[in-house]
Amino acid sequence: MNLNTKATAQNTYDAIVVGSGISGGWAAKELTEKGLKVLLLERGRNVEHIKDYTTAMKKPWEFEHRGALTEEQKKTHPVQKRDYPYSEFNESFWVNDEECPYTEVKRFDWYRGFHVGGKSLMWGRQSYRFSDLNFEDNKKDGHGNDWPIRYKDLSSWYDYVERFAGISGQVENWPALPDGQFLPPMEMNCVEKSVKKRIEDHWKKERIMTIGRTANLTVPHGGRGSCQYRNLCSRGCPFGAYFSTQSSTLPAAVATGNLTLRPFSLVDHIIYDKDTKKATGVMVIDSESKENIEFFAKIIFVNGSTLGSTFLLLNSTSEAHPNGLGNASGELGHNLMDHHFRTGATGEAEGFDDKYTYGRRANGIYIPRYQNMGNDKRDYLRGFGYQGGASRTGWHKDVAELAFGGEFKDQMTQPGMWTMGLGGFGESLPYHENRVYIDKTKKDAWGMPVLAIDCEFKDNEQKMRVAMMNDAAEMLEAAGMKNIKTYDAGSSPGMAIHEQGTARMGNDPKTSVLNKWNQMHEVSNVFVTDGSCMPSIACQNPSLTFMALTARAADYAVKELKKGNI
Amino acid sequence: MDRRDAVKSVAFLLGGALSATTIGVFLEGCNTSTDTKGSNLFSAEQDQMITELADIIIPTTKTPGAKAAGVGPFISLMLKDCYPKEAQEVFVKGLEDLEARSKKEFGSSFIKITVKEREQLVGKLRDETVAAQKAENEKNAAQPAAKLTAPKPAGDKYGAKPNFFLLTRDLTLLGYWSSEIGATQALEYVEIPGRYDGCVDLKPGQRVYS
Repeated sequence: MNLNTKATAQNTYDAIVVGSGISGGWAAKELTEKGLKVLLLERGRNVEHIKDYTTAMKKPWEFEHRGALTEEQKKTHPVQKRDYPYSEFNESFWVNDEECPYTEVKRFDWYRGFHVGGKSLMWGRQSYRFSDLNFEDNKKDGHGNDWPIRYKDLSSWYDYVERFAGISGQVENWPALPDGQFLPPMEMNCVEKSVKKRIEDHWKKERIMTIGRTANLTVPHGGRGSCQYRNLCSRGCPFGAYFSTQSSTLPAAVATGNLTLRPFSLVDHIIYDKDTKKATGVMVIDSESKENIEFFAKIIFVNGSTLGSTFLLLNSTSEAHPNGLGNASGELGHNLMDHHFRTGATGEAEGFDDKYTYGRRANGIYIPRYQNMGNDKRDYLRGFGYQGGASRTGWHKDVAELAFGGEFKDQMTQPGMWTMGLGGFGESLPYHENRVYIDKTKKDAWGMPVLAIDCEFKDNEQKMRVAMMNDAAEMLEAAGMKNIKTYDAGSSPGMAIHEQGTARMGNDPKTSVLNKWNQMHEVSNVFVTDGSCMPSIACQNPSLTFMALTARAADYAVKELKKGNI
Repeated sequence: MDRRDAVKSVAFLLGGALSATTIGVFLEGCNTSTDTKGSNLFSAEQDQMITELADIIIPTTKTPGAKAAGVGPFISLMLKDCYPKEAQEVFVKGLEDLEARSKKEFGSSFIKITVKEREQLVGKLRDETVAAQKAENEKNAAQPAAKLTAPKPAGDKYGAKPNFFLLTRDLTLLGYWSSEIGATQALEYVEIPGRYDGCVDLKPGQRVYS
């Protein structure tokens, strides 16, 4: 090593945060607000709030292909194209798969966005707390390891992040879905209100339906504008009306004067010092110039997304950590999970022909988990929740099959049928054999080896899917819907974009990678607070929990730093 | 992610019934990308024919139809840029067959026969497609469902063969309802609603919001 001392000093910060998505943005905000000089590293380009949301104000007819992908785009994005999120509407927010390939031992749809803000720009914004039911399931049924925390450890941090992010929702007192610090809820439409009442009456409130809890502002909040009901969120919001790194955490971090944001900084590995048994910094590949640069800090937060973070840890090998940083347990890379979904039912509502809606609500309804709780026992473990909603389209019941012509056209301009759908989101178990590892036989555009993903859903998930479909039909029937149809469109791991696990938390260093503070058991100044830390995934959308865990870990890290413990 | 809304908006644009090929293009890129024929896909006469065909599916009524909304060039562009070779070939063959039928039954090219005659030809295409779909559905229903021990992968229900009439109808509806004329004149377009009202009284003459 022939490091120039001055260059080292210039490249030294109090903390380094790897990744600028939902959890990385939170880490940067919390650490800078506590007075630390922070370097926030992002492997992709910068996307500036509002200015770089290039499609946000475009009208439908201003998209040449009206949202569809060209065959050319499908060629360069063979994975991203597999489902709807990658479209002409926000094409530039998704990775070019050819530049960053991975190995699918089994099919795994890996959706990635390499830019400042990461997937916080394109996320679904549904924000639900975990409950003790979720924190205790692993221990109760023996799948996975016990969570090292319980709801009481996280509830005040949920409060904290909700107050800042701005989550709209309705208080329900439902034990499996704790209430939060909500902004006013969005409104249900009249069909949804009727379905809610009939389901709750029929099951005597052992099942409930609530409006989706979403990180869209229903009133101005924290200097950001409220939702304009355009439902174009995934293009980036020019009103700042949903939580993203750009709209929320990044400006807060910048305002402290303590933040340095460095885009085009792909972290190759974490530098480990065997004498102090700590990480000293990171080695970055400038993703434009391909130059290698080292940065140093007292604390490192790893927030590169579930699989991005685990890849970085696996790639950070040294004499003391031959199988990846902090991997004496052998669990790093294991217990990969995602939600399974795309099954449920739809029906038609009658009796609301004189009603309509105004505005495009970027939210639906939610039916929280009710299975394997209280008296509800099933032939599978864990459970699922439903997302869904009712809407009125121009489609009319009496239209002939494959109709065309003037009469058909004019009819389609008049509000027609009301339909209501329920789609399940199910928990998958943490299977040890669902794993990722580094495949050195391939290289990406930056000369890095790639990740191999070997993950599948199994029998418990399939049994649950049958119930997800049948229960949906049963509830729509109880709600008086007609012409109910069930569907199972199949579900491949990765598609829910809720991939979690592979660097799990736990009390025992022999069976887990991180402790109850998201701190590596073996390397006390490295914290991992994105989806990789999760010992189980419950059935709720997970990002709110990553936010709360990140804020909690940052608080702990700074206290430990001040005490001289790290 | 926001999957419900995306699926819903496309399903709406296509009038509830999506053909498998179009679902493939919008919601799930076809499994293999293929070389396309690019800009030489259609002759000038065929481009004209597509324009007239779209105007049969969505004609001018009290609001302008597909021709005025530029749907013909949109269909040509979409097939060139966004559809795999197999669908392109089916579409070109469909145009050739339609032209041949027009000459056989009405003694003239599709672009020269009357609107009534075109409607008859398109009606026949529709009836044939409905019958073919029915036969296909019956065949699929006759096959026993496999007992699943693990969730099936996504996407295998979209394997159906492209069909000329379905491609034409899908693309006409999509192109028209999302055009400026279709979205703002036939439907009602509110760029920035500013609020959500979940339960308003339907006003007489209220058009569907695009």
